[in-house]
Amino acid sequence: MNTEVLRTGSKPLPRQRSAVVYKLSRLATSFSMHALVVASLAILLLPIVWMVSTSFKPLADVFSYPPQFIPRNPTVEAYTTQFTGLLGRYFLNSVIVGLLSAVLATGAGALAAYGLSRYRLPGRNAILMFFMASLAFPIPLLMISMYLMFVQLGLLNSYIGLVIGHTVITLPVCVWLLKNFFDQLPVEVEEAAFVDGASRAYTLFRIVLPMARPALGASAIFVFVTSWNELLFGLTFVSSTSMRPLPAGISMSFLTEFEGAWSEMMALSVMVSLPIFLLFTVFQRTFMSGVTAGAVKG
Amino acid sequence: MGFSPRQAPVFLAAIFAPSILLVGLFIVYPVVNSVGLAFTDASPLSSGRSFVGFENFVYLLEDGEFWEVLWNTVFIVGAATIIATAGGYGLATLLISGIRGAAIFRAAIFQVWVVPWIVIAILWGWLFSQDYGLVNYLLMQVGLIEAPVKWMFDQNASQWAIISGYAWRAIPFIMVICLAALQGIPSELVESAAIDGASFLQRQRYVILPLMQNIILVAALLQAVRFFQEMTMIFVLTQGGPVNATMVLSLYTYKTAFEDWDFGLASAIGTIWLILLMAFALFYVRVALRRNLA
Repeated sequence: MNTEVLRTGSKPLPRQRSAVVYKLSRLATSFSMHALVVASLAILLLPIVWMVSTSFKPLADVFSYPPQFIPRNPTVEAYTTQFTGLLGRYFLNSVIVGLLSAVLATGAGALAAYGLSRYRLPGRNAILMFFMASLAFPIPLLMISMYLMFVQLGLLNSYIGLVIGHTVITLPVCVWLLKNFFDQLPVEVEEAAFVDGASRAYTLFRIVLPMARPALGASAIFVFVTSWNELLFGLTFVSSTSMRPLPAGISMSFLTEFEGAWSEMMALSVMVSLPIFLLFTVFQRTFMSGVTAGAVKG
Repeated sequence: MGFSPRQAPVFLAAIFAPSILLVGLFIVYPVVNSVGLAFTDASPLSSGRSFVGFENFVYLLEDGEFWEVLWNTVFIVGAATIIATAGGYGLATLLISGIRGAAIFRAAIFQVWVVPWIVIAILWGWLFSQDYGLVNYLLMQVGLIEAPVKWMFDQNASQWAIISGYAWRAIPFIMVICLAALQGIPSELVESAAIDGASFLQRQRYVILPLMQNIILVAALLQAVRFFQEMTMIFVLTQGGPVNATMVLSLYTYKTAFEDWDFGLASAIGTIWLILLMAFALFYVRVALRRNLA
């Protein structure tokens, strides 16, 4: 943009020298900008590179000095030794709890968000503010009473207790995200449907929600990722090892038995990160196609 | 805009029922009930509970440990938020300045945001390992330290190890928000400032920052709230040690409740936390945001 500004400026430029100096200084700025970005990228990605690198080393090379960034004797040994029944069980638990929470929080959130977006409810803003504020509520404070409730309801040591916990800590975000999306959908579509005699439920489930697929997807992913990360409920509401989700399971068993086998711990870390990484990579495409498809149809 | 609720009371009741049930039973009731428990000596280990008034609160406020935990929390959350915000904003400014491959850089940096907390906890244990850790190796290579730092056994060092993990994980989030906001600034504004002879720093200070201030404040607040809740790293790496140096409010409440099984005292800690949060939020909305809008 600066080039244009200078060229169209009213003052005639002393052309030869200053143009060269200008170009050089621009080049220097551009170079230092690129260098800065590459440097910060290197620092930010170093932990991830180091994790992946360590996971492919035999244990003997893990402690080599100076450290090897590219494994000299690459091996997948650290991965294959991890395939125990217990880790598989943790993965399964996390997937089940994550999926159920995603469905429940997104479903309940979408219905409430639609109502908040479309109907002139008294105290609508207060409700939204409450949802936003509830994000900051101390989770351990909630857990104390939830624990007492779950003891009485017999929900300790079950998926249901975990799903409820993960649902309520994500529901506020789902409502906000989906309400913003519904606010942008033209209300005329629904009005036309009502004129044609469609019921409110039919309009919501067959017309509005299908249009909201990308937002529903984003909401579900958010819940799943939060659930995948969550440690406290998994530690507290579950007492048997086989019911624990990944974070709680790992911190209760793998880390307590851990004896400096860093390649194995890094292989475990890579495996725990991978589903989320894939989810985001795949999701970006679905999300974009969903948005554009909706725009074309609308 | 919007439909009148009178047109469809049954439909509205039906679509709000699930979330009212969930929020009422599992957010509103637990908060109210726990605040009530703060005035008792409740514990799942004993069957009865009796009302003790403000005893739990008095105990906490007179206990040096509680103030220590409070200060640690503010320090760790505050430092991590400031570093993440500055870093995220700086990166966003760099990426929007028209460098080549910005989209690739953005996608690469975003990968950090995807790393689960439990993985960061384990990874940080390895990076900050005393004898073979990469951080000690690099710091010694650069000459910043002479002997390996005992990261997890030194009070100050352990706090910075935790802060670095928090900040690292949050930088992409702040960056993405700032990028979106920076893209929304009309380019004419920045260009006309440039024509008038404003330098890069002057444009930042007088044109871009005032426009970005509110968004940066909101993003930082959201991040700080999340840091307050987060404790996976600390739970795995230090359990609050050494000598409570990394004991934060969330872990302290959790341990009091589910390791000491003192629900009354834990509820009191949680209640104070809740009050502090509300006071902070009020202050934030009133002072920080209003002043900027005016």
